[in-house]
Amino acid sequence: MGSRRPSPYGEAVAEQLGLELARAGVVVISGLALGIDAAAHRGALNAGGVTVAVMGTGVDVIYPSAHSVLAEAILSGGGALVSQFPDGTAPRRHNFPARNYTMAALSDVVVVVEAGEGSGALITAEAALDLHKEVMAVPGSVFSPLSVGTHGLIRDGAGLVQNARDVLMVLHLGAEVLDDPLAAPAGLGIKLPAERDGILFHLSDVLALNASEIARKLQLPIADVLGRLTSLELEGAVKRHQGGYVRALRRGKDRA
Amino acid sequence: MFGCVDSCVLAGLDVRLVRVEADIGRGNDHRFFLVGLAATTVKEARERVRSAIRNSGLEYPTTRLTVNLAPAELRKEGTGLDLPIAISIVLARAHRPAPPRSAFLGELALDGSVRHVDGVLVAARGLRELGFERIFVPAEDAAEASLADGLEVIPCESLIAVVNHLLESGVIAAASPRPGTIALDSPLEHDLVEVHGQEEAKRALEVAAAGGHHLLLSGPPGAGKTMLARCLPGILPPLELGEAIDVAQVRSLLGELPRDRPLDWARPFRAPHHGISMAGLIGGGGGLAMPGEISRASHGVLFLDELAEFQTPVLQALRQPLESGRITITRSGGSVTYPARFTLVAATNPCPCGWSGDGVRACRCTPGAVDTYHRRLSGPLLDRIDLQVSVRRVPLEALASEPRGETSAVIRERVMTARARQLARQGCLNAQLKPARLRLLATLPAVSRRTLERWSVQRGLSARGFHRAWRVARTSADLDGLDEIGEQHVLEALGFRLQDVAA
Repeated sequence: MGSRRPSPYGEAVAEQLGLELARAGVVVISGLALGIDAAAHRGALNAGGVTVAVMGTGVDVIYPSAHSVLAEAILSGGGALVSQFPDGTAPRRHNFPARNYTMAALSDVVVVVEAGEGSGALITAEAALDLHKEVMAVPGSVFSPLSVGTHGLIRDGAGLVQNARDVLMVLHLGAEVLDDPLAAPAGLGIKLPAERDGILFHLSDVLALNASEIARKLQLPIADVLGRLTSLELEGAVKRHQGGYVRALRRGKDRA
Repeated sequence: MFGCVDSCVLAGLDVRLVRVEADIGRGNDHRFFLVGLAATTVKEARERVRSAIRNSGLEYPTTRLTVNLAPAELRKEGTGLDLPIAISIVLARAHRPAPPRSAFLGELALDGSVRHVDGVLVAARGLRELGFERIFVPAEDAAEASLADGLEVIPCESLIAVVNHLLESGVIAAASPRPGTIALDSPLEHDLVEVHGQEEAKRALEVAAAGGHHLLLSGPPGAGKTMLARCLPGILPPLELGEAIDVAQVRSLLGELPRDRPLDWARPFRAPHHGISMAGLIGGGGGLAMPGEISRASHGVLFLDELAEFQTPVLQALRQPLESGRITITRSGGSVTYPARFTLVAATNPCPCGWSGDGVRACRCTPGAVDTYHRRLSGPLLDRIDLQVSVRRVPLEALASEPRGETSAVIRERVMTARARQLARQGCLNAQLKPARLRLLATLPAVSRRTLERWSVQRGLSARGFHRAWRVARTSADLDGLDEIGEQHVLEALGFRLQDVAA
């Protein structure tokens, strides 16, 4: 679980973890929400695995409605939509903490990918601790507000997740079933002419930099930098994020 | 005894000739009839005219008096008919003919002095078109009237001075004609050299100024969006004479023209608050509509801060002027058309709380709220804004180390060169090129076209969006002084499109 508005980094990690864990036979449970939840479901589905969505609405009310396709895919992949609320229950703010509690109860391990301060994911982590479940967290950049919550969990003793193997160890599942989960990619996964690569190495995959900042670092005219960034965007190597640019990470199937 | 003089009333920027006829009858009933579809303000002229004539030491008729305002079917409003009514009565008593090809305009005070009326410049230009050679206007409006070239302007201090001038011929000196040259280059109030960093936004301003493109600035509170917008007039070329007169005409109608300096060469900058009504923004009012903010901003910049906070119908009403550069408003008194060719600079927060994407403060908006916010902005209006750019907040402690960059004067030089290229090539700015002329005049080499098409397919660009990016690329090439649109120009243009989200 994690933020509904993650960074591209968080989304990529959630999708990759979902994929690797599902491939190892783990059932991936998440909340069908935007962001990290959806990425985790998607990753599991990409691996042909089983994933369960614990909903804060009635099982017949897909929220957000944009996820009806995802919900359909979860069902046809042999997974389930689960809810403690009667059919027809509309999304209500106060129902979601109860859903989070249920989600923790159904799981053996809770992995928090990105969570800002006071995020709902942290409430689930609390619930998991009450239920004596293992809580793990994925680290991020110390500059990112979305890592404040996860770093807090790690400081308080949550297990650090760098790759799927870390989670599988806690689940007492053999790590040898995986070839090389979440290995750091040798390069950036994108082949580009040398003169364009310069910009990529100045970009982060979490924190958005804007064209002005990049232009200053590279001592290039702004018009030039804007053009190069757009060209990289066309190649799929960078993404716009929060008014700036981040490196796009090849995720799931693309990377594998 | 009969006397008559010419005057006019205004319908927006149109001038309608009014002939004022006075007849002094024989009936001994002292009554004053004012006929010819006069509105209340004109009917009240009777009282002002009577007192003004008496207090000027002139003889007021003691018999029945009839004043007719012709044509009788035209509704007349305003106080500018006071002076012509009084003059027609005086001429009737003196058995004098109307002065040839002369018109009168002015409000009378009870002591006989002549007061300011709105729209003198518009009236003067209209009367000149109608073949008039001389216009009598309130003394304080004489400088304004002189802007209408080729017309003798007689400044009127008081009724008695005008009467003496007419009966004893030519005691008042005509106002000096319009100064022929553009005078000053006053120091800029807002210079881009004061904006630290923000190169991306500065470049967007330069492109917007060069090609006449509309611009959207998106960024958190305190990022400097307002400051950037206020710098735009300073990098635009000064107004041409015709443009300056257009600007002065709108101000004249609204009575907002400074008396001492009727002609202003600086581009207008208007920043209406987001609570503004439809009538306030596009123009309105009872009877005949008055110009709104978009017409005040004509030939200049209209800045709409907090774009998402404006009422949707108000924003929708901007579509016609954005396309055509003019606005036609119909009210009970008829239709009027005002100029509205402005550069739109809109500013918005990236999300309702404003802090999305800020390095320091975290955004607390739910994804749903952000979605709703963006939906309100998107659609037909955003589709008409060629350039969109994110502005980031520069933290206070970093401000000093940010480079200062160029002055507005340096950027303006480049803008003027690029504009001259466009005008020489096509007679208008790139933003006003219709698709057919764009294809003809801004040919895309194969590589550039492929890049543009690839993006269009990837991001599902509409035909309109495609052409907008094309126009911006044309401007970018013009800033580089190139005839051919290179791939880098297309790429830069696409970099200024925030709303194209990758599928």
